[in-house]
Amino acid sequence: MIARPALLLTGVSLATGIAAWWVASHALGSPLFPSPAEIVASAKELVRTGVLLSDIAVSVKRIAIGFVLGCAVGIPLGLAMGLFRPVRAFCEPIVQFLRFVPPIAWLIPAIMWFGIGETSKILLIFYMTVFLVLINTMAGVSSIRRNTLRSAETCGVDRWQLFWWVVFPATMSYSVAGARIALGNSFAAVVGAELIAADSGIGFRIVESGKWLAMGDMFAAILILGLLGIAADRLVNELASRWLRHYLPPAEQHVG
Amino acid sequence: MSADVTFRGVDFAFGTAQPVLKDLDFQVGNGEFFVLLGPSGCGKSTALNLIAGFEFPTSGEVLAGGKRIEGAGRDRAVIFQDSDSLYGWLTVLDNIAFPLRVTGAPRPERRERALASVKLVGLHGHEGKYPAELSGGMKQRAQLARALVLDSPILLMDEPFAALDAQTRSILQDELVQLNIHMKKTVLFITHDIGEAILLGDRVGIMRAGPASAIKEFIDVRLPRPRRRGSAEFGELYERIGQSISDEVRRALQREDSLLS
Repeated sequence: MIARPALLLTGVSLATGIAAWWVASHALGSPLFPSPAEIVASAKELVRTGVLLSDIAVSVKRIAIGFVLGCAVGIPLGLAMGLFRPVRAFCEPIVQFLRFVPPIAWLIPAIMWFGIGETSKILLIFYMTVFLVLINTMAGVSSIRRNTLRSAETCGVDRWQLFWWVVFPATMSYSVAGARIALGNSFAAVVGAELIAADSGIGFRIVESGKWLAMGDMFAAILILGLLGIAADRLVNELASRWLRHYLPPAEQHVG
Repeated sequence: MSADVTFRGVDFAFGTAQPVLKDLDFQVGNGEFFVLLGPSGCGKSTALNLIAGFEFPTSGEVLAGGKRIEGAGRDRAVIFQDSDSLYGWLTVLDNIAFPLRVTGAPRPERRERALASVKLVGLHGHEGKYPAELSGGMKQRAQLARALVLDSPILLMDEPFAALDAQTRSILQDELVQLNIHMKKTVLFITHDIGEAILLGDRVGIMRAGPASAIKEFIDVRLPRPRRRGSAEFGELYERIGQSISDEVRRALQREDSLLS
């Protein structure tokens, strides 16, 4: 729980931000710089007509599918690369190369190959998630302490027991750390893709509003984007600390 | 089954480096509490790793119960100095029951035997906690409880109390003595603490400073248990072992100095 003074400061901080925006918008008096009230009114209207919700749904769906697929491939591959030297030797050069090519660089080829629809966006999120999760998982395997494995050997584990009961849970915290970063970046990535080429989604709404100079709508979309990012981050934190509490390193545990 | 441990002409080296152990020869009898005492870096933990089956001798033989060691096994429980052998994602009880989960024992039996072990080492009330929530002494108790669940005739202890504060260490030493009066396990206990060696051991093997270390001298500790640190006999033995080992410590320090300069 947040302590009272901290909560108060959070409130003051938000109020200051909104006030600063309000002052700037009134000082400029430009239609390109709508006031907070106008943005909220636009947001309400977008919610009422259902446009905003369907935009959110589209973007969130793209993120969710790409993210889940990315974890589903990244975790096993990271484990395999961490555990088996030949697999690592084979995959590492490719991984090391690709991880320095930003996802957005693939957007144009992806759109040419898969069209402007869902596939190219999902692929982008998948691509980003896979490398973050994979590299973290691999690091997790090599971070397992020697005695962790040795004590299991002393108990007479076979290969499968060692994997499922020791190696896999011991790596979990690293995989989760990678997944968290991936999810955080997913929003930026999906919106980036939707800005460049899409026919729906929050990024598309920003571009579309800009075209018609509907500045209220545009800023409403940006506002929602920030709120969604916070919500997703909170959700992952909440889920992780509820279900994965004891898989995370002690520093992140809420002891007591 | 006989639970003796034998080192016969054991050499050990990491790769082509200078040998850590050279011609190490000793035997631990069935039910004997044997302490391997030596300055840091003398290879005493390496000796334990050889019996545990974590490492293999470059030449010579290591036998447990008359059989050549092929790898780690349930007949030789190990208690490590650090608690990274406990699993952070399992409760204390599940950690302790882990050896039974490996054999596929039914859940009620696992629980029952783990709880019995929890009681023996004085961990009751903590079985639902996670390792991160335990103090250093409690973690070592948990390791001991897990070793008891394994029910191995041979217990290998690698400086298990070295990282604890003096009070906790002394309490755990006493508890180990009490426990082993009933268990009568064959114990190989590694330490650099002379007092601990006398307090616990039936016999103490003093190791030479490395490299190419082996046992310099065996000393029988014929004091009745429980032993008291303040007693005259204790003091005499302490003096005697202290003298024997001080040369080795000095040599170990000189070697460290020459490595640093």
